[in-house]
Amino acid sequence: MNRRSETTAALLLIAPFVAVYCWLFIYPTLQMVYLSFTNAPLIGPGEWTGLRNFERLFGDRTFKIAVWNTFYFVVLTVVPGTLVGLGIALMVNRLRGWMQSMILAAFFLPFILPVSVVYLVWNWMFDIQFGIAQYVIEPIVGEPVAVFRQKAWFMPAVALVTIWWTNGFNILLFLAGLRNISPEIYEAAELEGAGRWAVFRKITWPLIWPVTVLVLTIQLILQLKIFDQVYLFSLGGRTQTTMVLVQYIFQQAFVNNRGGYGATVALALFVIIIAFSVMQFQALRLRGER
Amino acid sequence: MKLSRAILAVPAFFAAVSIAEAQTEVVWWDFLGGGDGVRMKSLIDEFNTSHPDIEIQATTLEWGVPFYTKVQTSAAIGEGPDMMTYHTSRIPLAVDSDVLSEITADDLAAMGLSESDFAPATWDAVQVGGAQYAIPFDTHPIVLYYNKEKLAAAGLIGDDGLPTGLDGIENFAAALQKLQEGGTEWSMSTFTASGNFQFRTIYSLLGQQDGEMLTDGEWLAGENKQKLANALKVVSDWVGDGHVPAYTEYPAAVALFTSGQAAMHINGVWEVPTMVDLQEKGELFEWGAIELPVFFDHPSTYSDSHSFAIPNNKDNPISAEKRAAVQAVISWMLENGLFWATAGHIPALNAVTESAEYKAMEPNATYAVLTQNAIFDPKSKFAGVASPMFEAAGNSFTASVNGEMEAGEAVDLMKDELDFLE
Amino acid sequence: MTAAPTTTVATGVKHPKAIRYLDIGGLILTVLTVFCAVIWAFPLYWAAITTFKPEHEIILPYVELWPENFTLSAYYHVIFNTKIGIWYVNSVVTAVSVTVLVVVMGAACGYAISQLQFSGRRILWWTILASFMVPIQALIINHFILMAQVSLLNSWLGIILPQLIAPIVVIVYKQFFDSLPRDFREAAVIDGANHFQLLFKVFLPMNWGVTTALAVITFIGAWNAFLWPFLAAQSENMMTIAVGITQVSDAFGIYYGRELAGAMMAGLPVAVLYLLFQRRVTQAITLAAGIKG
Repeated sequence: MNRRSETTAALLLIAPFVAVYCWLFIYPTLQMVYLSFTNAPLIGPGEWTGLRNFERLFGDRTFKIAVWNTFYFVVLTVVPGTLVGLGIALMVNRLRGWMQSMILAAFFLPFILPVSVVYLVWNWMFDIQFGIAQYVIEPIVGEPVAVFRQKAWFMPAVALVTIWWTNGFNILLFLAGLRNISPEIYEAAELEGAGRWAVFRKITWPLIWPVTVLVLTIQLILQLKIFDQVYLFSLGGRTQTTMVLVQYIFQQAFVNNRGGYGATVALALFVIIIAFSVMQFQALRLRGER
Repeated sequence: MKLSRAILAVPAFFAAVSIAEAQTEVVWWDFLGGGDGVRMKSLIDEFNTSHPDIEIQATTLEWGVPFYTKVQTSAAIGEGPDMMTYHTSRIPLAVDSDVLSEITADDLAAMGLSESDFAPATWDAVQVGGAQYAIPFDTHPIVLYYNKEKLAAAGLIGDDGLPTGLDGIENFAAALQKLQEGGTEWSMSTFTASGNFQFRTIYSLLGQQDGEMLTDGEWLAGENKQKLANALKVVSDWVGDGHVPAYTEYPAAVALFTSGQAAMHINGVWEVPTMVDLQEKGELFEWGAIELPVFFDHPSTYSDSHSFAIPNNKDNPISAEKRAAVQAVISWMLENGLFWATAGHIPALNAVTESAEYKAMEPNATYAVLTQNAIFDPKSKFAGVASPMFEAAGNSFTASVNGEMEAGEAVDLMKDELDFLE
Repeated sequence: MTAAPTTTVATGVKHPKAIRYLDIGGLILTVLTVFCAVIWAFPLYWAAITTFKPEHEIILPYVELWPENFTLSAYYHVIFNTKIGIWYVNSVVTAVSVTVLVVVMGAACGYAISQLQFSGRRILWWTILASFMVPIQALIINHFILMAQVSLLNSWLGIILPQLIAPIVVIVYKQFFDSLPRDFREAAVIDGANHFQLLFKVFLPMNWGVTTALAVITFIGAWNAFLWPFLAAQSENMMTIAVGITQVSDAFGIYYGRELAGAMMAGLPVAVLYLLFQRRVTQAITLAAGIKG
């Protein structure tokens, strides 16, 4: 096979992906930047307004709330979710055979459910009148709590539900990491009579660290883009108070018919995520990973 | 020759048959999920049975923001329904975003309707800039539902059999106190989890002080800010003093009243059918519904209207044939307004409200007087159901009604949000 | 990723008793694990059991772990009074299409970047790597405009297309193909196979586990996708099941049993598939992740 046919084959093979990539990713991204300088509605032409949208953005209280809530949600989910995932993986990894399969299934099953199902299930769990979770909340707080209506409860509750829902995947990643640790290391440790905690601290934790970083990275990217759960649980409620960034894009463009301003918010989200990526990349480089 | 003619005639025959059988499908969207939704379902069924040539295909979407978001985006891309129910309060906003198709003089003529068939305020509400954008179907204010036995026990039923001693902020608070002392768990229930629902009550109380949300393009100008805070404080105090449960969801608020755990209930007239149906089954106490008491200077009650509208589907305008079918549907629905009145609503058509049957209908007749005191959303592209003002109310009022924030602070927050709109 | 720190393990406690103590500790851990799993799965059980209760039992003021009167009426209602059948079809069509297209395009592109020399290869690779983190959700407005321009909104294709951007699939395939010995390819090239045969007859079958894992993850993602299908599907007839059960109310008030029955039916197909192929799914994902990590 000569060089030319190789190039031809390569072009044919990359063509579908590159076409989709350019048409549905590069082009919309550039258009988003353009749109953020206009006052266009969702559908239809707008006028060039220069930096007007950006000025507005910096004075926009709801935008600030959305940024804050998004970060708050990230804090509530990323590290706690990763730790819970690791904990469960450690517990499951000890088990063998059908027992392991069953227990793993119990932990993994929520992950495969659509978010709407998760929403309906937990809305029912937390229902202020008939929700079974109120049997736990009431003795502690003293009264039933409308968790998805109270500002203080909303984000923690949604974070809890999110960890419950998405953790199955993290558990699998951790299990994979744990299985890659050679049994001989543990045997050696056992011969030396090391306690469970010492084994974890000195062997498991350092060896599982790369997977932990992977899970943290995936979680961080995922949770910055939070929309579905927050949108659904805040339906009919006080959306402005519980707003997150993607939801604000949606609200401006689709609810309020402000395509240009919505694109400005979208651009801000873009910049935030790129900033996070660069920071994380630098952090990893400094640690000497990868 | 004869044979070929016969062969030619066959497809023509089938074509004729299929035209005769062809139904015009009317895709219909509504948001009626309460007790009135059941009534609407039976109206639609009845229409479909009595009109073999037209078939209404109805979809009920989530009330409020989800419904209007879907309508707006679908019309913008030409994928909207053929017709829909629409809140009159939102028409200026809809016109601003070009969502509605104008109702022409031809449409009105085809439906056999004219301005004189409606009350002036009702008619005016569907006009923007000299053009008409919807056909009014009803008016639906909020009312005060009450449990007659409980009010009687607390000495709050007068000689005429109607509640008494509820007017005035202190009197009402005293009445709430008495009801609770009488052993009722809650004096009153309402959808406190939703600030934008509470807007209806609070706006009524603003109207009782002659306050306005929007004055010559300025939000909460001058004293109006204080008046709104006064109104908000009344509602917040009910919750703060433990008479009304906080953060209550819609179905729970209704259930608290119908189960007898709350003696009174503020809600729209659309829950009348729920009460009627329960009472018919023998599962409800003796109840009634009255106009909101006067807390400030004079009676005033928030009201909105359901209307029928045709979306302005971009690049995909409705065909003449469909439009004719839609006209037929609308005019039939209006004529059957008497049945719609059993859903609690006040029908829009004068011919219906003036009929002897309507005048005898209870509890509608009791609260029919309030149409004179009805106030509507400001006519602005920022107001109406699922509008920016509605969202701002949801934000501030939820916090204040449930005791997270002082009334004055909540109103400041709301004004800031409203002033930021453009 | 340095050598395992075997030498640093604490020493000194060399008692046989320690091992027996550990066993008891192990038992406690196992019991704890089972307890946690039961708690974890409980919301699903509770939702499922609620759907089999008549409405008056659903709102009992105490906990009823098993219905006294078993009924299917909630399911009957959902099946006959909603368009759940159509929603299923929409979900299956869009999720399967997204999965097939994403995997095939990703494999082809990953193969080309990994195995072939062509100009622009490095730039392409870096572009893809860089876009791995980019939020597709930020593009909803422009996807909406784009799909409106080609009149694809409210259609299957309109729901599918914006879900096809999955640089991660290319990245994973590229890394897997990189790790294969070069002899394979050279041997096959000498046999006169072209690149398409190589990809589909040699590289993909050899990486079947990766393909399964990527397909499973993509399918779950597409079946569960909410935001984009929610925006793209305008009419009830185009909604996927994840969208339909939250957007369409059936105008008969709130019935918890019916809502949850809809939810159970939405979750069931994938849950059953997962339970049937559990071992293989777990293996595939752990294998794929194992090498990546």
